[in-house]
Amino acid sequence: MVLEATMICIDNSEWMRNGDYSPSRFQAQADAVSLICGAKTQSNPENTVGILTMAGKGVRVLATPTSDLGKILSCMHGLEMGGEMNLAAGIQIAQLALKHRQNKNQQQRIIVFAGSPIKHEKKALEMIGKKLKKNSVALDIVDFGEEEDGKPEKLEALLTSVNNNDTSHIVHVPAGQNALSDVLISTPVFTGDGEGGSGFAAAAAAAAAAGGVSDFDFGVDPNIDPELALALRVSMEEERARQEAAAKRAAEEANRQEKGEEAQPQSDSQNATSTATEKVSDPMDEDDALLKQALALSMNIPGSDSSAGDAQMSEATNDDQELALALQMSMHDGSKDSSAPSDVSKVLGDQSFMSSILSSLPGVDPNDPNVKDLLASLPGQSESQQKKDEDEQPSKDDK
Amino acid sequence: MACTHDHSCEDHDCSSNWSLYKHIDLSKVTALNEANPGSVKSVFKAWEERLNSSGEHLESNEGDPELLVYIPFTSDVKIKSISVVGGADGTSPSKLRVFINRDGIDFSDAQSMQPVQEWDLVENLQGVLEYQTRYSKFQSVANITLHFPESFGGDTTQIHYIGFKGEATQLKRDVVATIVYEITPNPSDHKTRAETGGLSHVE
Repeated sequence: MVLEATMICIDNSEWMRNGDYSPSRFQAQADAVSLICGAKTQSNPENTVGILTMAGKGVRVLATPTSDLGKILSCMHGLEMGGEMNLAAGIQIAQLALKHRQNKNQQQRIIVFAGSPIKHEKKALEMIGKKLKKNSVALDIVDFGEEEDGKPEKLEALLTSVNNNDTSHIVHVPAGQNALSDVLISTPVFTGDGEGGSGFAAAAAAAAAAGGVSDFDFGVDPNIDPELALALRVSMEEERARQEAAAKRAAEEANRQEKGEEAQPQSDSQNATSTATEKVSDPMDEDDALLKQALALSMNIPGSDSSAGDAQMSEATNDDQELALALQMSMHDGSKDSSAPSDVSKVLGDQSFMSSILSSLPGVDPNDPNVKDLLASLPGQSESQQKKDEDEQPSKDDK
Repeated sequence: MACTHDHSCEDHDCSSNWSLYKHIDLSKVTALNEANPGSVKSVFKAWEERLNSSGEHLESNEGDPELLVYIPFTSDVKIKSISVVGGADGTSPSKLRVFINRDGIDFSDAQSMQPVQEWDLVENLQGVLEYQTRYSKFQSVANITLHFPESFGGDTTQIHYIGFKGEATQLKRDVVATIVYEITPNPSDHKTRAETGGLSHVE
């Protein structure tokens, strides 16, 4: 919750028309900028953010440091691309804008998006960095877009000359699948200096982990409408688990022979989500015991509720963990929401309901012995229900 | 301008003269161009410990001997004189320029503004030199900014102790925080004595 005034330097040069970041470099940059503004103003209401563009006819300050998010977002509209980026002038003018901030107690920070080739010499950049360090201005550099020989070295040199006690950071974002904002969310540019991230960053990270759904509203929800936020989170978790179950099923069809070895994409996705959720679990949102529960499950922390389910899960092969996870999480949601948990588990225990759900999942084969084991693990299930299961198998369609 | 302290301190209690360090708001002390953030707070201590350099001291960044120290006080003080103990081997500051009651000064401001007073310092490793102020200008100091532009040839500037001699007034300087002027005038706020029925007189 450090009190900070930030100036964001946007690259709106001709190089930003390129489409190697979807939908275009400029659009990806604009999304990242709006997310950063939101994160900064959320982490401390007295934080201010300003914007300037470095290319075009010349460096132009679009907004001086202000805490009014609407004004910042509106000045991002209708920006023209063109010209060449002038990094040195941009940084110096940002420093000047910060010098004249209204609240002198704020720490000064500049965030630079360096998307085009850098025409300045390393020496000149180091001089600028030294001046920033002397006036205790921190600098975050986002190296994306055009890849040019020597560009990373120049930016690294700039960073080392500015860096004072690790307050400054650099992030290299190569072109590829991931959106620029998603990559930035997990970096210190977003989360601040090791404070573990604000609730906004945590929520945004969870959203990013849920299959790349970039949901700006998702992050703002906890402030405005906590119940809606809860509902969104729950449905997000279920959707993610369902998609992973589907992916896992498809992979399982492909390599039936491998027992106990997870299919690569599934294990990768599980690792990715578990690391993402590990990061997210650190800033414990006290109000959100539900999310904590779901995260504990996804990290397979033993001792969570429904020990019967856990015991059964260990019997089932690894392949089924995703499906079990989804079911367990939906069950836990039910147990938190209603004072009569038995109602929900009864619903889930209802065999016909479960079978219909399972058959609606693409790739799930109700005849699979693993699935049958799983169903047996549901609380409230007895052997009789398992028998009912077998009776119903012949009548189900194979998908 | 400088007087030497050429008697032993057991005769009278020197430390009580240099007790203004107790009135410094240490949490809000900041310095620009310091090598270790937060090390500036270690230079404000009691007179007896001025030569005790076992702890931290204030050092500027490598290759740049300029230093700027911002010191707010908890109440208004009157400063009679200032003492600075520097480092050895040319790392003592050679000049001192002070600004009063201005906050948010950075290096470009400090270099261009006219200081309230400036001194040429000498190497004062034993801490026996003090630099007197033009007392009339230092009568109600809420915060003071010390600018050390250069050193005696060293690569960096080191400062082990900064002391202030004077007295505290227990008053707080009036800082105008927010003023709300009338948006629309309210006649009832502006009744003259004639209207309220008191004795009227021509002003």
